Amino acid sequence: MEKVLEVRELSKQYTKVLAADKVSFDIEKGEIFALIGPNGAGKTTTIRMISTLLKPTSGDAIVAGHSVIKDAAKVRECITYLPDEAGAYKNMTGKSYLRFMAGLFSTDIDVINRYVERAERICGLGDRLKDKIGTYSRGMIRKLLLARAVMTEPKLAILDEPTSGLDVLNAIEIRKMIKKLAAEEGMSFLLSSHNMLEIEFVSDRVGIIAKGHLLVSGRADELKERYSAQNLEEVFERVVKDNEIL
Amino acid sequence: MVDTSGDDYSAVLRDADADSLVIIPEGFTEKLENGERPEMISVSGMKSAAAMSNITNSNSGAIGLISECISSAFAAKAGLTAEQVELLQMPVTVTEQTVVKDKSAPIGAASIMSSIMMKNMILPIIVFILIMFTSNMLMGAISNEKIDKTLETLLSAPVSRTAILGAKMLAAAIIALLNAVVYMFGFSSFMSGATESVSEEMTGQLVGQYISVDSALERLGLTLGASDYILIGAQLFLTIMICLSVSLMLGALVNDTKQSQTMMMPLMIMAMVPYLISMMADINSLPAVIRVIVYAIPFTHTFSAMNNIMFGNMPIFFGGLAYQFVVFVICMFFALRLFNSDKILTASLNFGQKSKFKKNTSDNE
Repeated sequence: MEKVLEVRELSKQYTKVLAADKVSFDIEKGEIFALIGPNGAGKTTTIRMISTLLKPTSGDAIVAGHSVIKDAAKVRECITYLPDEAGAYKNMTGKSYLRFMAGLFSTDIDVINRYVERAERICGLGDRLKDKIGTYSRGMIRKLLLARAVMTEPKLAILDEPTSGLDVLNAIEIRKMIKKLAAEEGMSFLLSSHNMLEIEFVSDRVGIIAKGHLLVSGRADELKERYSAQNLEEVFERVVKDNEIL
Repeated sequence: MVDTSGDDYSAVLRDADADSLVIIPEGFTEKLENGERPEMISVSGMKSAAAMSNITNSNSGAIGLISECISSAFAAKAGLTAEQVELLQMPVTVTEQTVVKDKSAPIGAASIMSSIMMKNMILPIIVFILIMFTSNMLMGAISNEKIDKTLETLLSAPVSRTAILGAKMLAAAIIALLNAVVYMFGFSSFMSGATESVSEEMTGQLVGQYISVDSALERLGLTLGASDYILIGAQLFLTIMICLSVSLMLGALVNDTKQSQTMMMPLMIMAMVPYLISMMADINSLPAVIRVIVYAIPFTHTFSAMNNIMFGNMPIFFGGLAYQFVVFVICMFFALRLFNSDKILTASLNFGQKSKFKKNTSDNE
């Protein structure tokens, strides 16, 4: 299988804290990989390094053949990143926001139009796209941003807490959409979430991260078997506790 | 006729329905004829302490006229001719000469001063408004990306950080330029209205004795040519660029709306101090220590630019221009470094409080 992301011993040292310590994992084409971990585990730092927002202290991540250190500009062409608690420009209408963001990914009008149409279809906001984003609810903004993140057909979509702020029905819809895009279009996803049930449903493989270390990674059913757990929540609990004892 | 019994002159003003009045008491003429010095009462109503609000008070004019009439009457009585009276009133003729470096012109320094002040008032006001407006706008453009949480999305898009900075600076600079043009036109038409009426009044009084203010300015070399305006423009451009680069850094350190207002303070002080000093005093004649401190503020050179060019202090002008360029290069270097490093996402000034940003990241990780 073609590898879309290869993370090789990625580390990040802040002034006092080692936020990520030699994190390594791969994501294949069309695969959904989820990073799960407690608060302050290093999920967001790892994701930010892969998104070229932060420079790694050591190690490297290769996205579609491009290094995040040496070739950050090329990496940004292959990815989209949806941060947790992200916002959108409140003075723009939904549609003009989509058009503005599409314009950052292409200069070809036809391509931009195609991206915007695709996002309009995916977000399902209909006529509300003509309204200013300032009037949207949190859930609507999240849907708009998710549509923005997948409209450019990136090789790797990095979604930090993709369903945060959404109600149950909307969250289910988003999960289905992610699975569909991965299965039908071969889009790869790197997710992070606190919601273990969501992760179990949506991801092909998970990585459990705590105190900057990636402790285990593998398929959800494999991990459940290995730790004789009923669900991912139990796996997560046991892995984190084992790590504390160590 | 008004009744002035008692000390309450407010009733008198109210009854007369006037803002001010001069009261000539009973027996005024008799006292004059007896060779005594009679009393006149000047009553002025004050409605505000604003500088221009009492300017219409015409009591002194009325008193002057009355005194002049009385003097003329006395002189006529004593058998003096009109020429002798005029000589008495103005016994000497004063011819004023103003010298600027090696040039001189037959005009009063006060007329030159008032004319230059009127014209020079426009530039500092425009510079001050531009500095405040431009920095506020760019700082908002950067800090709102952080406050509204759109910055990370923008920085992860396939656009270089330098291009994002460039675009934001260009947008702010274009708006600043448009503002400068609008203010310039507005103020100059407003000021030319004011100066026209003043100079008409002056030339009306001074025909034959003095040359007009404009030709005096030209003779003294105090007018500005096209090349001078280009130099002032260059200085203004550098000022705006310094503003933009400093605002970039300050905007990057902001994490919430309250902080963004606090962050305006350094720029505000940097603009306010030289603005006020240049209005009140000649910076070049201040004590050496204060002069160095004031000149260390880069915006001082913009506020004193027109003065320096007008009075030929070119070494100070070009020194200021060079200093501003160095300041701009240094500020821009640090702004670019800040934006191309992790600090744009992690830096914050928290003045002893726990950083909101750091709290958020630790929650998210």
